[in-house]
Amino acid sequence: MVQGTLDMLILQTLVLGPAHGQTIAHAIERGSEEVLQVEHGSLYPALHRLQNRGWIAAFWGTSESNRKAKYYRLTPEGKRQLAAQTSRWEQVVSAISRILNPIPGKQG
Amino acid sequence: MNWQRFLQRQTADAEQREELDFYLEVTTEEYIQRGLDTAAARAAARQKLGNATLIREEVYRMNTLTFAEGVWRDARHSLRMVRLNPAFSAAAILTLALGIGANTAMFSVFSAVLIRPLPYPRSEALVGVSNRMVIQGRVFEDSDLSPAMYAACKENARAFESFGVWTVGAATVTGLGDPEQLVIVKATQGVLPVLGILPHIGRWFSGNDDTPGTLETVILSYGYWQRKFGGDPGALSHTILIDFIPRQVIGVMPPGFRVAKVSPDILLPQRFPASGLPEELSYAGIARLRPGVTVALANQDVARVWKAWGETAGVSRMLDLLQVQPNLRPLKKDVVGNIGLMLALLMGALGLVLLLVCANAANLVLVRAQSRQQEFAIRAALGAGWSRIARGVLVESLTLGVLGGVLGLALAYLGLRVLVTQGPTNLPRLAEITLDRRALAFVLACAVGSSLLFGLAAVLRCARPGRMQVARGSTRGAGQLRAQNALVVIQVALAFVLLVASGLMIRSFGALLAVRPGFTHPEWIQTVRISIPEALAAKPEQVVRIQAEILGRLSTIPGVTAAGFGHGLPLEAEYHNGIVIAVEGKTPPDQMPPNRAFRIVSPGLYAAQDTRLLAGRDFTWDDVFGQRGVALVSAAMARENWGDPISALGKRIRFGRVGPWNEVIGVAEDVYADGVNLPPPATVYSHIGGRRAVTFAIRSERAGTQAFLREIAAQVHAANSNLPLAKVRTLNDVYRQSMVQTSFALVLLAIAGAMALTLSIVGVYGVLAYAVARRRHEVGIRLALGAEPKALKWLFVRRGLVLNCIGGIIGLALAIGLSRWITSLLFGLTPLDPLTYAAAGGRIALAAVAASYFPARQAASMDPMETLRSE
Repeated sequence: MVQGTLDMLILQTLVLGPAHGQTIAHAIERGSEEVLQVEHGSLYPALHRLQNRGWIAAFWGTSESNRKAKYYRLTPEGKRQLAAQTSRWEQVVSAISRILNPIPGKQG
Repeated sequence: MNWQRFLQRQTADAEQREELDFYLEVTTEEYIQRGLDTAAARAAARQKLGNATLIREEVYRMNTLTFAEGVWRDARHSLRMVRLNPAFSAAAILTLALGIGANTAMFSVFSAVLIRPLPYPRSEALVGVSNRMVIQGRVFEDSDLSPAMYAACKENARAFESFGVWTVGAATVTGLGDPEQLVIVKATQGVLPVLGILPHIGRWFSGNDDTPGTLETVILSYGYWQRKFGGDPGALSHTILIDFIPRQVIGVMPPGFRVAKVSPDILLPQRFPASGLPEELSYAGIARLRPGVTVALANQDVARVWKAWGETAGVSRMLDLLQVQPNLRPLKKDVVGNIGLMLALLMGALGLVLLLVCANAANLVLVRAQSRQQEFAIRAALGAGWSRIARGVLVESLTLGVLGGVLGLALAYLGLRVLVTQGPTNLPRLAEITLDRRALAFVLACAVGSSLLFGLAAVLRCARPGRMQVARGSTRGAGQLRAQNALVVIQVALAFVLLVASGLMIRSFGALLAVRPGFTHPEWIQTVRISIPEALAAKPEQVVRIQAEILGRLSTIPGVTAAGFGHGLPLEAEYHNGIVIAVEGKTPPDQMPPNRAFRIVSPGLYAAQDTRLLAGRDFTWDDVFGQRGVALVSAAMARENWGDPISALGKRIRFGRVGPWNEVIGVAEDVYADGVNLPPPATVYSHIGGRRAVTFAIRSERAGTQAFLREIAAQVHAANSNLPLAKVRTLNDVYRQSMVQTSFALVLLAIAGAMALTLSIVGVYGVLAYAVARRRHEVGIRLALGAEPKALKWLFVRRGLVLNCIGGIIGLALAIGLSRWITSLLFGLTPLDPLTYAAAGGRIALAAVAASYFPARQAASMDPMETLRSE
């Protein structure tokens, strides 16, 4: 996975509503049609980091299987950050793709 | 980083663990649903999660202050090390404490005297107003003002916000218990506004108070008010008798109030008659500059005032003749005087001691770091980065430094307590010396700075990247010994410098003591100052009668061998008056003769002081009462004018430019009246009586004892019961006080020198002992092969001597280079005094032998079998 994108993907996943760690991992993997594999070694530290920054908040809830689970939800600050990061990401992606697929008409 | 998270990191970790467990369970269930059996599903889930502990550790680390926590751990570790190595730690901490303590104490003195502003609001605007003038080719830098100059300046100077003149004196208070002589300051109305200190209660002097013919007033000091009125505000409007004149109390100044250097008991208004101002230059001017006015501008302004005054008052010729120029200076300069150089010198000496202490501590830390090489290597092998280890070593040094600093602070506090109570009273601003915030910052800087200094030595030597591979069994390089040797050489060199400095001071002090000051056994000369007020004896003859009667009574006290009085005794401030003396046949009639020290003495004073008469005779009471025109001169005066004492007899001189001639009837030996370290002034003695305040000198071996003082008081009061006794002391007190600057510098430099010598002995000993320990193996083999113990001893002693020799030579060069700084404190010898240098060298050599001998003996007395077996 591209460096620094995990945070953004987590935030994007949480736009749909609160979720626990496993759901987030699943959502990213399924959403990317199994292209992106979430390393759990980095998922949990990332969740913790986002929480420290105040972009997401954690609360204890009950899972589908009726177990105690730690849920995360997006904070208003997190929403702002997501918007900012998404637009930045799109700029980078379009810039890279312009280089990789130059429009023939514009050259020479 | 967030403190809350830091403190709750244990809870956070527990939650993390729970979260991961939850993940495992959910994932396991998922795999079971996909058709795996329970064990396989659990294994797959674990595999998917990866290393759960690693995840927890990573999250945990996010919640820690890695650096701070590491430093804290290192600090706890080093405190443990301090406890575990008491000898090493005590040596390092104690020397650091001594070094830092001495420096802090000295810094406090330095800061209180030189750096801190005077205790007045906006004190930088305060200036002392005086003149520079030239009389007979002699330049006087700080000649005081005359009343006419005061009046001119007060009227016309534009540079001043306020301005006044003041004098110090003494006055007698009667009617409030025993008669008492007090230190008074007479000040014109402008002086208190210049200083800007509001009265505690009551008011300042007004323009009315210093106008003659109005109600006489007085302002009390806080101390006198507490002492006599118990702090009762009702003291205002009380009337007290000062020199038998009733004066109304109008105010009380706050505690600690001073006028420049003087702390008066009471303040009186200085009144000048409206006309016919006396022409004496004896009033100290003081002014507050207007905002934005510099001292240079104010000087120009006053010069303009003098010019205008010279023209209107018709004194321009006199001003030109004496080359009078205003010489305004910041008041602080007046207060502090020339003590700055001495303090800077002492500060420098103690700074050297601190450097020595650092070198010593560096050596200790080095030796220890060396012995911990193996520990460092193991830690490095286990994954500690060099920075971790370097941090550990530095934190250890810092711990030692901070402990030393704390102890040093305590030492400085004690030292200052002693200094303020016992210290030289002519050290300006002595009472203002405290351990303030600046001193605390200084301690901190000293502690941290020196620990970084000696800690870095160890880090560079042992914990540098690339040096960590030193592992078990490897031989140690010569590099570390080189570093230690260099440190020892530095120590010896610094010790040499300090020994020379203290040696020079000791020799100067000896030279001062060897001077025959014009009196002998000052501890046998009891002095008492008695002032006879006008109300008691209006005419000069009456004053002399009373003084003669007192003298007669004092002479009858058992044990008194001689007694006399003068208007001031040697080394007393009252003594510094002079008048012009015309010499018959030497001074051209149309020229101003030079100013000479002038003393009024009674018959018997020379005997009381044991001042030898080189020719002729002493005054007699017949001379006094017969008002004969006779005088005595000092040997310097006689030599200057007539070649030798004998030929001075029968010559004639005038007191002043005109007036009757006086025949020289005797020549007294020179008296070092301005201080033993200053040349004795050419002096003229007269018997002309009528001075109201005189100091009696009573020679007796009982001087200074309580019984003796009681008998003196009884005899004086038998003559008149209203006469207070002032300045009751022996001449010895004055004599010692006059040398106190030298002895103060002497004591501090001697302490610095002794510390330096001790430290360098410890340093040399440490290096050699370490060398012996390191070479045990080699020494064992040599002994086993039949080496002579004596030769082995010499091997080590030689090393100590070589180190000391190099250090001594460097020290010699340093001392010669630095010696000119100490010149002004020396007396009777040059800063390159060979004897002092030889003595310093001798002491260093002795120290070297002593420090080398014991390690060497230890080496020679090793049992070869034991040392070989132990390896």
